[in-house]
Amino acid sequence: MSLFLRKWMVALTGLFLCIFLVVHLSANCILLLPEAVARGMYNAYSTLLRESPLIKVVAYALYLSIILHVVFALLVTIRNRRAKPTPYAVNHHGENSQWAAQNMGLIGIFILVFIVVHLANFWARIKLGMGEGVGLDAQGYVDVYAVTSSLFHNPYYVAFYSLLMIPLGFHLHHGLKSSLKTLGFYHRSGLRVLARVSLFYALIMSVGFGVIPIIVYFK
Amino acid sequence: MRVRFRIWRQDNARVKGGFRDYEVDGLNEDMSLLEALDHLNEQLVLRDEKVVAFEYDCREGICGQCGVFVNGRAHGPHANMTTCQLHLRSFADGDTITIEPWRAAAFPVIKDLIVDRSAFDRIIRQGGYISAKTGTAPEANAIPVGKEVADRAMDAAACIGCGACVATCKNSSAALFTAAKINHLNTLPQGKPEQHRRVSDMVQQMEEEGFGHCSFTGACEVECPEGISVANIAEMNARYLKAKLFG
Ligand code: HEM
Ligand code: FES
Repeated sequence: MSLFLRKWMVALTGLFLCIFLVVHLSANCILLLPEAVARGMYNAYSTLLRESPLIKVVAYALYLSIILHVVFALLVTIRNRRAKPTPYAVNHHGENSQWAAQNMGLIGIFILVFIVVHLANFWARIKLGMGEGVGLDAQGYVDVYAVTSSLFHNPYYVAFYSLLMIPLGFHLHHGLKSSLKTLGFYHRSGLRVLARVSLFYALIMSVGFGVIPIIVYFK
Repeated sequence: MRVRFRIWRQDNARVKGGFRDYEVDGLNEDMSLLEALDHLNEQLVLRDEKVVAFEYDCREGICGQCGVFVNGRAHGPHANMTTCQLHLRSFADGDTITIEPWRAAAFPVIKDLIVDRSAFDRIIRQGGYISAKTGTAPEANAIPVGKEVADRAMDAAACIGCGACVATCKNSSAALFTAAKINHLNTLPQGKPEQHRRVSDMVQQMEEEGFGHCSFTGACEVECPEGISVANIAEMNARYLKAKLFG
């Protein structure tokens, strides 16, 4: 089962990450509320997460998923490259397939860069206590809202966070439908629905995550 | 009509190959691409040069022998068509037509545009048949098969083994070919007794031959002369899992 299992790991971990993104985006929507409400809610929510033992398990599953997804995607990509050692002199694959599907590895590298910077901005500061200290809000919660808000008042970070949601959108558009096919979903009309759901999902995720920093910047 | 062929020339798998250009005149747009290559070869013979080696048999789109990469597409610029069905009217007078052999580690070049596709035969050998002796054709309704089931099996059975799926796939994956062969038999009552062993063994052979993973780009389904759906690959994946869990 070894080789098949590699692609299955990419699909299973990718799918888990896709579900995680839905929860993550829902929570980020709090940032769209007026500041007075948003700060309290956002900090209360993040404290709730940090203190829940269930979320601790989920968080480790998340770290593991990212690592396994990247490792297995790399193994899969290496094998794929070896299988096609000589490229065509002329290749019009744009006429028979989508760009995202042909370039998942390249797109993935952009996402990886994003994840590293994103973890350094939030996770490393809030959870590991690295860099500048994080204060408490009026209710005594760790002021994660302030971390977010100050980050998104830096135009470079706004551009970074918003622009990198474009490759994410491409990755998710192909990834969601592909992962279910990898895992054996083959119902014909279901696959047509799945193609549309993947596009819808990818648009919501990339536009959603992408506009929030811009809105926060102008708040 | 006049075209310039840019053709991959290579004596065998052990030596390096490269492109050579040939100006060919006196063609007409009703000629098939293979006829234009015949025309070129006749001229090469007269000039005492080595002819371009390319493969074909039926020249009517059913045998699957004729695949080459033409101007950046498997079997040429049209979807769902074999190379032998491609005519010069699909090109303009004066065009350059670049012809390359299928590219895949599992399909080494034999000569010029001919590749060795025996990896496919070895996959078939692992279960692309039923082992029961069937004798002469039985009475058609002896084993009732529903119309939908028969249609699905026939759609998969349409595969002519040309290798365009492997050729066009960025990973040189043989998933569409293998899935078509597995699903054709596993869908039918006659294939059921050996279904789990069939999918396990054929998938294992596919992997051992050095084909890549399926990334579901969907290019294979577009280039497949029979338009075999990539849903077959998803179905093979489901069958493989079932075989490993319950087989
Ligand atoms: C939020 C982060 C991510 C999510 C939600 C995600 C999701 C997915 C999904 C659902 C798939 C489809 C799996 C399949 O076709 O079976 C996939 C494929 C892939 N992912 Fe990701 N991914 C993420 C990050 C990354 C990163 C950081 C990399 C690499 C550095 C990466 C590289 C790949 C590659 C190469 C494939 C394609 C494998 C193939 O050829 O089929 N992904 N991803
Ligand atoms: S020569 Fe038989 S399919 Fe083209």
